[in-house]
Amino acid sequence: MTTRKYQAQKPPAQLDSQTLTAGSGAEDLIETRIASVLGLKQFMQGPIRTLLIKGLAGTGKTTVALEILKAAGKGKGAYVSSRVPKELLETHIPAMKETLHNQEFLDIRLEDASSVLDLVMKLTEPKKYVTIVFDSWDALAKELDPRERLRAEKTLMALAHNSGAQLVFVSEEPTATTIDYLVDGILELVMVEEQDRTVREFIIHKLRGTKIPQRKYIYTLLEGKFTFFGPYTIPDYAKMSKITQRPDIGGSYSFGSGALDRLFGGMIPGSTLSIEYDENVPYSALRAIEYPPIINFLSRGRSAILLPLPGANDEMISSILTKAVGKGVVNDRLRTINILRTSDLKTASLPKNATPQEIHEIVTNETAALRKKSADKSVLLVKSVSALENLFASDLDSLLEVTSQEIITLQQSHDAHILFLPKDSPIRSRILSMSSSYAKLFVRDGTVLMFGVRPHTGIYALQHLEDPISPSLTQLV
Amino acid sequence: MGGFSVAFASAVHGGLDRILGQSGAEAVLLHMKMTNDLPDPAEFHRKLLTLFGAQGTLSLERAIVKDLAIRLSWSLSLLKIEDSFDFSETMRAIEKGAKA
Repeated sequence: MTTRKYQAQKPPAQLDSQTLTAGSGAEDLIETRIASVLGLKQFMQGPIRTLLIKGLAGTGKTTVALEILKAAGKGKGAYVSSRVPKELLETHIPAMKETLHNQEFLDIRLEDASSVLDLVMKLTEPKKYVTIVFDSWDALAKELDPRERLRAEKTLMALAHNSGAQLVFVSEEPTATTIDYLVDGILELVMVEEQDRTVREFIIHKLRGTKIPQRKYIYTLLEGKFTFFGPYTIPDYAKMSKITQRPDIGGSYSFGSGALDRLFGGMIPGSTLSIEYDENVPYSALRAIEYPPIINFLSRGRSAILLPLPGANDEMISSILTKAVGKGVVNDRLRTINILRTSDLKTASLPKNATPQEIHEIVTNETAALRKKSADKSVLLVKSVSALENLFASDLDSLLEVTSQEIITLQQSHDAHILFLPKDSPIRSRILSMSSSYAKLFVRDGTVLMFGVRPHTGIYALQHLEDPISPSLTQLV
Repeated sequence: MGGFSVAFASAVHGGLDRILGQSGAEAVLLHMKMTNDLPDPAEFHRKLLTLFGAQGTLSLERAIVKDLAIRLSWSLSLLKIEDSFDFSETMRAIEKGAKA
């Protein structure tokens, strides 16, 4: 459809009664359309006829509104612009160019309030348009005195409720205005600083007739599209697919995950990567960083040692890794040392009250043994600092001493070292100062977020979209 | 136009204005193409129904009747508009009374 300058006296050609179709029907339920955009289908039981999308400039209000418009279906949405002409909007949001072409675009920049209300009557009366977006409502409303504004808004609400059309108002007014009280739903888009990076968050202030179990969600505008992140869900390891071996990246080892490789550029031989995590980060999210490098090392004929996170289930570790690389490989070139399990200490001829130095000796010996079996003599050491801290809480200095010895030894070898470090670790700063690279994981609004501190990276949402073992990282922009 | 006609036209503007605001009232009349002509009550009622539904129309028509009653110095208690009422019928009754 083409851009038109709205003319108050002349009904738009598209609204000619003979060319109009009947109402949108049950399949176009408004709550379903909003839900499909916001990913909140399970929460949307009530009909939302009028929705206010508010937020400061640059938060993505127009993109969200256009996504809702897109969900209306081709030719069933109208975009009423009081700010910019269509051509400019297409330049601002190229990803939405098709949506803008598929829907009616009405340029009302120079129209007054009564003409706009007349326009809404024309748009809603034939029941052709199921979604009408006002971007922005403020631009018009600010020309009206408060009482007149309230009445104009009430008129719009009445028109929406009678026609069955959904009106979406875009507003840059951060404070509550009269329309806040009239609309059925309010979404606010905000940008917040998190660890020196910007995170986008949308807040559901109200959705009438709808339970709101979670009010805040993280979203991204990557590639000019609105993508929201629901709470992190633990992957179903039964759905694990065959692991694809990933080659080394130049002189660096692959993480066994395209997403991690793209983020960090691989593991340089002799380097130590520390993964710092908040206490509320699910272990399954950490496993998405823990397992792929091990699996890739093993599948490339190399060896690996794993000191698992506290609470790790030995059988599950074994089952996942066996499924990925086969039992023979796991038995031959992987050593899992559960230091909280006394049987491992006994196997290694260590007393129950083993010292950090004694554990270090086990690791050194195992490394030497596994190095012989490794195709290129390299070994990956993946270690939970938390597990060691729990064991040696009264002797952290020794633990630190041993860890630093390991890091130095590793630097001189071609091995790779990944340390999982809880945020509140008493030896955190010392470990980090010795690490060649450093990433952080934390949870916000139920979404697991990750970023590299060293090297500095953007911030990413961690999910399991393709494989339960590998992380999917979506950049927050 | 006679006294009733002038009062009715003014009451339509006044009643709609009271509920919808000036811009809303203008928009409705513009939309109904009734900016100059005196609305036929039955046609007016039908068009309001299309735009605002039964409840919205009732509120608007009640506001128009109240406005008209004030203009013609009628007592509202005589008009029985508290519940649903026939707008055309009421208009005819007021017109008849005004002429009497």
